[in-house]
Amino acid sequence: MFPTRLLRSSTVNANEIAHFSRLSAEWWNERGEFSFLHKMNPVRMQFIREKLLETAYDEQPEEAVDAKKVGILEGLDVLDVGCGGGLLSESLARIGARTTGIDASESNISIAQHHASLDPRLASNLTYKHAPAESLLTQSKRYDVVCSMEVLEHVDNPSMFLKTCAELLKPSGHLFLSTISRTPLSYFLTIFMAEKVLREVADGTHTYSKYIKPSELLEFFQLYRSSLPYSVNGDSVQTQSRPWITRLYSGEPTRKEAEVRGMIYNPLSASWVIAPRGAWGAAECNYLFWIRKPALNDTL
Amino acid sequence: MLLYTNGPRLLSKFLRSTPPNRLVRCLSTNHEDYDVVIVGGGPAGLALACALGSKSELQNVLKIALVEAGELSRVHNWSSPNGSFSNRVVSLTNASQAFLKDTGSWDYVELERTAPVEEMQVWDGISDARITFSTSELGLSSTGHSGMARLIETLNLQRGLLRHLHAMPTVQIIDKSRVQSITSDEAPGSWPMVHLDTGRMLKARLLIGADGPNSPVRSFANIPSYGWSYDTQAIVCTMDHPPKGPFLGPNTTAYQRFLPTGPIAFLPISATASSLVWSTKPALATALKACEPSVLARMINAAFRLPDVSVGYIHNRILEAHEAGKPLTEEEINAEILWREQSHSINQTSAYSSMVPEASIESRIPPSDVELVPPIVTSIQPGTVASFPLRYNHTETYIGEGQGSRTVLVGDAAHTIHPLAGQGLNLGLGDVECLSRCITEAVMRGGDIGAYTCLLPYTQERYLENHKIMSACDKLHKIYSTSFGPLVQLRSVGLEVLNELDSIKAAIMMSAGSVSRNNNRLLSYNSDARTTMFNVAAKGVESMNTAAHVARVVRDGLTGLAVDTLQNVAKAATPYHHAPKDVP
Repeated sequence: MFPTRLLRSSTVNANEIAHFSRLSAEWWNERGEFSFLHKMNPVRMQFIREKLLETAYDEQPEEAVDAKKVGILEGLDVLDVGCGGGLLSESLARIGARTTGIDASESNISIAQHHASLDPRLASNLTYKHAPAESLLTQSKRYDVVCSMEVLEHVDNPSMFLKTCAELLKPSGHLFLSTISRTPLSYFLTIFMAEKVLREVADGTHTYSKYIKPSELLEFFQLYRSSLPYSVNGDSVQTQSRPWITRLYSGEPTRKEAEVRGMIYNPLSASWVIAPRGAWGAAECNYLFWIRKPALNDTL
Repeated sequence: MLLYTNGPRLLSKFLRSTPPNRLVRCLSTNHEDYDVVIVGGGPAGLALACALGSKSELQNVLKIALVEAGELSRVHNWSSPNGSFSNRVVSLTNASQAFLKDTGSWDYVELERTAPVEEMQVWDGISDARITFSTSELGLSSTGHSGMARLIETLNLQRGLLRHLHAMPTVQIIDKSRVQSITSDEAPGSWPMVHLDTGRMLKARLLIGADGPNSPVRSFANIPSYGWSYDTQAIVCTMDHPPKGPFLGPNTTAYQRFLPTGPIAFLPISATASSLVWSTKPALATALKACEPSVLARMINAAFRLPDVSVGYIHNRILEAHEAGKPLTEEEINAEILWREQSHSINQTSAYSSMVPEASIESRIPPSDVELVPPIVTSIQPGTVASFPLRYNHTETYIGEGQGSRTVLVGDAAHTIHPLAGQGLNLGLGDVECLSRCITEAVMRGGDIGAYTCLLPYTQERYLENHKIMSACDKLHKIYSTSFGPLVQLRSVGLEVLNELDSIKAAIMMSAGSVSRNNNRLLSYNSDARTTMFNVAAKGVESMNTAAHVARVVRDGLTGLAVDTLQNVAKAATPYHHAPKDVP
């Protein structure tokens, strides 16, 4: 399913971590190496906001939803896996989330901590931790929202990484990913142009074979069932949920289970846009992925 | 930015040194943290505070302060007796009015003291080529707009904005406080600290310079600007005149005549009062200001009516008399004007006669061409005569970077413009509308509103827009400040052609701001249909200017060497206006 890689106990790739540690000082230079990520951040946040609003409209009466509320994540525990310099974590915290950012690189975490300390508004609900995602599984804490943006294409064992993210979620929690598809177009844009020709992104940032197609993610979650504690006559029994994606309609998941949206860079306005749902070819390169963990009683 | 090049080394330095430093700073100073600090309580700064304070999304999210050196209670309590008007009057386009209505500030403006412009008469001082815009032709009356723009005293607008601000608790107004200095830490991305002369210190996530042409915020952010002074002063005053007679329309026509010394404009503010903006040479401006108000009134009438050669002659008389220390009396100027009129065979009953009509004249049927010139000015309201120098100035960008990061400029701090099109404040309000939209959008997405990435769409949307209108006005000024024959012909043809072409008028109709800006719209790259009236005119002017340039080259070629001609042709062929730096 995924590019073949041996199952190992950790998904962290030592070379990748060394690469990003070298670049860590650059994280908050908005005109430097990471300018593309800075520009992508508002769009990722827009996707998170819209998706959460959409589910709120599905589950609550219309008048109970305040679409203009800034603090849409208020009261939610949010985990940012592979937070890097904290670009996404800070934004999540600003719209109210109790945010935990984790990263496998210690220097990234120091940069993120330092940068957050410059903003007094972040002190109360943003914490960073130098830890691989797997290490959080041993704790009992689970999250309402898990985000892992532009990380999947850097990990060693994607299926294990996805399982970790999935298990860190509370039932009915939201998982947000963004990554790059494995297509000739994505090779051309993200490696050939961005790294070799224009040198906008540091050489060696991306590895083509690690890219993951949206269809592969969908396939993974069609098979994936999370384990649920279930009690029969007072004895707790482990049981399994329904698969996270029950069926696809012409390759697309249903709106309430999962969503793939292409993300396109417009060089004229120097900004990213989210492509409309199902736009042809939009998810050939960068894309956003959302999936929802089945509710507790959703065993099927 | 520079600090980043030695990233890792500096990084380790921060990490070791910063926490103790921060601790020391927190202990030794008691600054206040704000999300937005607006410096400057002029119309642009106040409008921005109103726009941010009135957004329902931003309630209790942003902590906003507005700093002003002057005493704002004087503006807040400003009042003026009926019929007398302040000398600073601005023309608000329908787009600007729509924005002020959206934010709710328009309700606080005293509408009785404003007047719509329903018609505009613009003509060439030398050739008399004329262009007329009227609301009925533009079809704006059907869209619920009264007029293509509305004239309002700056003080009336400022007072309305202030009253609106007082009605909302979200914005803290800090007046009678001059900005003494602005500092920032070495660390990139740190927040600028505004030191006030009262001893207060405000730390700003985003520092907005709405502080006028000599902006302290711009100097702190080290944003370069380019521009030049026009060798021109603008005289302003409020003029009294009799109401228009029963056979004429209301006083809602704005007049502008392009004299070689600069444009003179007559802007109606009520039935019996209008505002003057007369751009002219500095020496003449000084002489005119030194005259008796009654003499100035005669001069204004003559400047709209006499042929250019006589206007020039009378200007020289005024200058000579001023230099000799014996300013002309009312009788002398009347005699001069009368004599010039007679030599041009202008009958005293004609519309082009500058003589104050007898009281009995009101009942008379007016001459047919009376609507081509403004009403006869009978007196100048006392204490309203003033003048200011004119400049063209545009910063290279609107966003500060490096040590000056977390700063952004709006309004006159970013651009100053020739007033001939009355666009200065409208550009400023356009900035304000865009920036407040940009900030709201960033807040909704959890962005840091002081960050470059969050502010970039503002520069992207506004820079070209402003530049286009600014250079059009600049070129209009330059084209009309010559009396070189072929050029006059060329520009006259330009004007007359513009007047005849219905399609251009239709385009102007679309663009005179009949569309209210939708605040919920996503930011888009220069996508608006709200090109103002001057966008269309600007295109015409650009092509006229290119043609004029070629004409000049041809003239030079005839007198000079062939080589010169080639060089000039090459010059004419290359675009000469500055490319905006920050727009990708």
